[in-house]
Amino acid sequence: MMLMTTRRGAMAGGAAVLAGLAVGHDVRAQGRRILVISSNQDIPNFDPHVANGYSAAMALRNTYDSLVRVEGNPPKPVPHLAQSWTVSDDGREYIFKLDPLAKFHDGSPVTAEAVKYSFNRLLRLNRGNAWMIAGVVDLNSVEAVDATTVRVKLATPFVPFLSVLPWVWIVNPAQVEANKGEDDGQNWLRSNLAGSGAFRLRRAEAGNLYEFERVADGWKKGGGNLTGAIWKITRETATQRLMVQRGEAQIAVDLTSEDMDALKDRPGVTLVLEPEYRTFSIKMNTRHGPLADANLRRAIACAFNYQGMLDVAGYAELMKGPLPDSIDGFDRDLPLYRTDMARAKEYLAKSSTPNGGIKLTLAHVSGLEQQRRWALVMLDSLRALNIELDIKPMIWPDMVSSARSPETTADFFCVYQTANYGDADNLAFAGYHSSRNGGWQNPVYSNPEVDAVLTQARGETDPEKRRALYVRFQRMVMDDSPDIFGVLEKRKMAMRTNVKGFVFTPVASNAIELFPLSLG
Amino acid sequence: MLGYILRRILLLVPVLLGLSILVFAIARLLPGDPVTLAAGPNATAADVASVAREFGLDRPLPVQYWNYLTGVLRGDWGVSIFTRRPVAEDLKAYLPATLELVLAAMGLAIVIGIPAGLMAAVWRNKWPDFLSRAVSLGAISMPRFFLGLVFQLLFAMWLGWLPLSGRFPLTEDPPPFLTGLLTVDALAAGQFHAFGVALSHLALPAIAMCLSPLATIMRMMRSSTIEVLQQDYVLTERALGLSQRLILFKYVLKNAISSTLTVIGLYVGWLLGGTVLVETVFDWPGIGLYATQAVLTQDFMPIIGVTLCIGAIFVTVNLVVDMLYGLLNPKVRYQ
Repeated sequence: MMLMTTRRGAMAGGAAVLAGLAVGHDVRAQGRRILVISSNQDIPNFDPHVANGYSAAMALRNTYDSLVRVEGNPPKPVPHLAQSWTVSDDGREYIFKLDPLAKFHDGSPVTAEAVKYSFNRLLRLNRGNAWMIAGVVDLNSVEAVDATTVRVKLATPFVPFLSVLPWVWIVNPAQVEANKGEDDGQNWLRSNLAGSGAFRLRRAEAGNLYEFERVADGWKKGGGNLTGAIWKITRETATQRLMVQRGEAQIAVDLTSEDMDALKDRPGVTLVLEPEYRTFSIKMNTRHGPLADANLRRAIACAFNYQGMLDVAGYAELMKGPLPDSIDGFDRDLPLYRTDMARAKEYLAKSSTPNGGIKLTLAHVSGLEQQRRWALVMLDSLRALNIELDIKPMIWPDMVSSARSPETTADFFCVYQTANYGDADNLAFAGYHSSRNGGWQNPVYSNPEVDAVLTQARGETDPEKRRALYVRFQRMVMDDSPDIFGVLEKRKMAMRTNVKGFVFTPVASNAIELFPLSLG
Repeated sequence: MLGYILRRILLLVPVLLGLSILVFAIARLLPGDPVTLAAGPNATAADVASVAREFGLDRPLPVQYWNYLTGVLRGDWGVSIFTRRPVAEDLKAYLPATLELVLAAMGLAIVIGIPAGLMAAVWRNKWPDFLSRAVSLGAISMPRFFLGLVFQLLFAMWLGWLPLSGRFPLTEDPPPFLTGLLTVDALAAGQFHAFGVALSHLALPAIAMCLSPLATIMRMMRSSTIEVLQQDYVLTERALGLSQRLILFKYVLKNAISSTLTVIGLYVGWLLGGTVLVETVFDWPGIGLYATQAVLTQDFMPIIGVTLCIGAIFVTVNLVVDMLYGLLNPKVRYQ
């Protein structure tokens, strides 16, 4: 007995010593005011003109600067490197005045030439966020008028131009040129920084963590009191939750509804549950197979169990058409499809298969439990129309491949879509313009009138007229019924109550901006 | 013996070559379109073609394979089409974490499993044997990820004895890189404090990983020891009055361990390829998670790189096991 007690004591003692060591480090971290963000996404590439994904956006928005920042809800562009700007009446010429205090990490000033160099590098490489300005800005569009004045002449009118600028990062041309190699500096910038942001990279452990430290003599004054931050890669959301619960992380950005429920009313934890511009739709094959019949699509849209979908969605709300309801241009009077079996049967009677008796296929991403459940809701809904459903879980590359042509696209195609900038153009153009046919965002839907309205809306500078165009777009799409407009997911994050200065923005909200944050 | 080793080493070449052809073909012939995916949602057909050209994916398959093979010989394991990071760099970053975990788990399994198996055989049908049966049954039946979660709840959340996840405290710099195995690097740098911290992080995932091989080793050791104990020469040794300890450790152990060695060799490969669940639960930045991500996105080069790497380790471990047979048992002859 004596021996057992001694052994157990020794084990506990040994473990306590080890645990004590770890606790000691946490205390030291608090002294340095280091914010730990727990996320499931790695940051494999730091090249601001190549990398994409929200983790890269987080790293880049803190280590590089852009002409404007995005802020608020609804999101608005606000001055950043550019102190001010003017726009010509036709919306095709922008003149930006740069902040003369702005400087790169090596102390050299951020000049108009650097802005020109960065735009041109992004266009040359045609990677990362280049698609946001492709066709709008070309290699002759950006001009350095003087050291702090930049003129951008758009190749085509594009009203959301300011909304995409927060994601066009400005690099230090001298550093990139010095390490240009044979690939325009891509190899060097993959793991080195040439920015002017408020933070710099201190430590990088691929697949594990990235540590940022505040630039001591940064050009931008004010902000929060953070001395550093760690982007910790935590694949399991339950572990993210436990880390916030135990105070090992101050923010967790990828939580599930179950995690949010488990954290509710936990002392020291604040929950962030906000609608974001992330939509889930079940797209229908409007060009091939039975669903090329608009009346059958309308019948299914009326038979679908929307409440059932919402019930399994966790923290989400039903979409009210192709656009999120908080975005400028949303039509509040849009007639909706909701579960109405009488109406569904009316449409079915008008279709080429008035008695059902057909079998449709639904493709969803394998492993995504939420999508599997929604597929079952669809299966159940279709039974009422005497339609069978074959559910096909596929890995994402296979789904992308299948979207190449109407013949290979499934009858139903499940898609999450996240807005990259806070303008109706982003989701509308990507999801419904026929130029995107063959891609996963819009495999098959094509309506020349919708195309014309969307193209016109891109260049319409009068806000009222632009809103009217988006209202027209939404009504046309609703009439065509190409999608089951599903749910608008809420962003689910948890943070410790000692995190101050956080303001939610529905665009890239998980790409946390460190500058305004403090640890209390 | 030396000739045999050289022959075996030479045989590794066609084995790895065959593996590389197989994996390359499977990875490249799978349906799916990772190139379009990598080009981004807004890429035009020309953009997709440009990405394919950039990575040489527009060339005939044999040419692609030849370029890959000659690249590997130069140390260039290709580039991920999604992250554009060199695979060799990724392997260097991820492999040590997995190796450390697998070595710790196998070490624990061997250190506990072999003596426990011996004891169970010696005290056959007595309480040590019953206990070992119960432990091995439980250990082999319990999924590793479930055990991991239970350990986290018990030792990290409730008792607070050990860290919840990760390899090292977030806010502290790890020991200087030498092998990438943090415990080894800490000892090499004389940082005993860092060694303790790294060990405390390693404890729970290693225990969760070790239970299945431990149970198998224990059972294998027990049955082979019982078999050897029934041999005539053991009876003779007993009749000659040799001590039980001498008989057991000098004569029985060496004869009984061969089959256990085979199992150990096989388990190293099994653990290397099967760490993903434990890595996920303990947030262990190893190769399992890297490989899983690559498979889900059909990122060719990482898939091929990881498979080749694990394959190479596996055949090397088995070669070492074959060598050990001869060292432990002089009756074994290499031809």
